[in-house]
Amino acid sequence: MSQPVSAISIQGLTKDFSVTLRGVKLRAVDALNLEVAEGQVYGLLGPNGSGKSTTIKIILGLLDATVGDVRVFGVPAHRVEARRNVGYLPEAPYFYRYLSGRELVKFYARVCGVSGTTLKARVDEVIDWVGLSGAADRRVGTYSKGMLQRIGLAQALVHDPKLIVLDEPTAGVDPVGSAEMCELIRKLKQQGKTVLITSHLLAQIEDVCDRVAILDRGKLIVEGSVLELVGQRDRQALIVDPLSEVDLVALRAWLEARGHHLNAVEQPRARLDQLFLSKVSRPGRPGGASAGVGSNEVPLDAKP
Amino acid sequence: MSVASVPFSFSRLSLIAGNTFLEAVRQKLFNFLLLLAVGLVASAQFFREFNFGSSELKFIADFGFGALIFFGSALTIATTAQLFFSEIENRTALTLLAKPLWRAEFVFGKFLGVFAVIGVFCALTIGLMMALLWHREGQLMEMRPEDFANGRLIAYGDLLVVGVLQWLKFGVLTAIVLLIASFSNTNLFTVVTGFFVLVICHLQYLARDAWGNVDNPLVGLVVRALGFIFPNFQLFNLADQVGQGAGVSPVVALQVAGYAVAYIAVIGGLAVYSFRNREI
Ligand SMILES: Nc1ncnc2c1ncn2[C@@H]1O[C@H](COP(=O)(O)OP(=O)(O)OP(=O)(O)O)[C@@H](O)[C@H]1O
Ligand SMILES: [Mg+2]
Repeated sequence: MSQPVSAISIQGLTKDFSVTLRGVKLRAVDALNLEVAEGQVYGLLGPNGSGKSTTIKIILGLLDATVGDVRVFGVPAHRVEARRNVGYLPEAPYFYRYLSGRELVKFYARVCGVSGTTLKARVDEVIDWVGLSGAADRRVGTYSKGMLQRIGLAQALVHDPKLIVLDEPTAGVDPVGSAEMCELIRKLKQQGKTVLITSHLLAQIEDVCDRVAILDRGKLIVEGSVLELVGQRDRQALIVDPLSEVDLVALRAWLEARGHHLNAVEQPRARLDQLFLSKVSRPGRPGGASAGVGSNEVPLDAKP
Repeated sequence: MSVASVPFSFSRLSLIAGNTFLEAVRQKLFNFLLLLAVGLVASAQFFREFNFGSSELKFIADFGFGALIFFGSALTIATTAQLFFSEIENRTALTLLAKPLWRAEFVFGKFLGVFAVIGVFCALTIGLMMALLWHREGQLMEMRPEDFANGRLIAYGDLLVVGVLQWLKFGVLTAIVLLIASFSNTNLFTVVTGFFVLVICHLQYLARDAWGNVDNPLVGLVVRALGFIFPNFQLFNLADQVGQGAGVSPVVALQVAGYAVAYIAVIGGLAVYSFRNREI
């Protein structure tokens, strides 16, 4: 093909649910057009019930489109082949609680056709990558919310897919964990993966995404690159040591003489999450790579 | 860009079957099965005082099969519905079906997993029953050797054949419950409808006997159509012949087994068709 295929291509997608017995329809997605190019981190935003998860489920062939054409790497989404190159982390994920984390990832790996000698290595690799090595042999039923999200990410990555779809991967995860989740997403981007992500934590979306789309009641209302949308090209911020009143007046005059205007003088504040990240310590986990995972586990044989 | 197609895979199917079986094991369903089987067979011991000689053995066999049929049916319906809906209600089906996996592999994987669980129950019950019979028969042989002039009376091979046929019948029932579950929204609806169909399958021969020869061709047609749609579970009750001279004819046993396999294939196929259109 001459033209590069989009990782995800959605054209004229509409999805109706019948929500009452009399067949009253609810339009969850309304005439949506969306292109996600390969290699991008793409954020899907919108208030509760705006149709983000519904769109994602259609991309994965879990729901059928009422109208419209949805393709994943050029393959219609409802076909089994389309899911070959896709990893998916559902919102509020829940897994077979009777399996251990390692067994769970191994099961999904084998379903995806990873086998033989690569199987064990790959399973260990992704578990390590999401920082769950310490808890891999515990039953999934005993995992905390943050650990469920991590094991969910591990199962989504285990077959090395080209597209990774994450539905609210940071819901219920502490700030340290969600900062790490963003770090992992950046690494995925460096590996050339395409990532589609939904989240209500807009600050993080802004940090990690190349492009975003905002949905409202199933309709696309804003779409574009993050820089385009929120960058203010006609403004600049200077951060300086505290200035005395006299200096400030002088500075204002100096600027005015050159045709500039001092718009605002503010006390910059650290963001609360930055404060949190710098204060919270995770004992025994240098580098924070495995924060949030069994950090207060006591080895049973280490009696005092 | 062309993506290689994903062929139907028996290894994926058996992975799902294995995981379903493992769920039953780890959720402690088997402890319950074992208790149930032991309880059932042991309760046959209470009727020991009958001491009717060889008819006591017949009683144990009848009791054992009665218990197998009754509890096996209940267990099949409940287990199938539970193992299917645990996947839907816990939304694990979402993650699983987002993998390159055919819905047919999912449905038949679930089928095989449940079928294996029921197989363990059948094997436990039949095995314990045979052990009890063997033991009791040995005692009776010492007490009244004149009744056992020609060696043992019980045809243990036949017991095994009938046991396997019952297992296949539970397989048909599993497929029926999966078909109901494939479009039903709740576990409860599935279980209740499953029991309803079970009763029809057991009693449909009555309708055929009563109305099959009625002059009205329409009624006759409807009754015969029903007899065709619902498998006749009465066919599997070969237990009456066990230990009574004639024994179980291998040809009949094979025919009944073929009947079960055909129904499993067709009903399973319908379940796949219906599940393919289900929104997860
Ligand atoms: N299976 C379903 N049957 C009926 N209505 C549904 C179904 N799934 C979703 N909806 C409706 O479709 C709309 C969109 O839901 P969706 O889950 O896609 O929202 P969302 O953007 O993911 O919201 P959130 O941020 O809360 O996760 C909602 O009004 C929801 O009630
Ligand atoms: Mg959602």
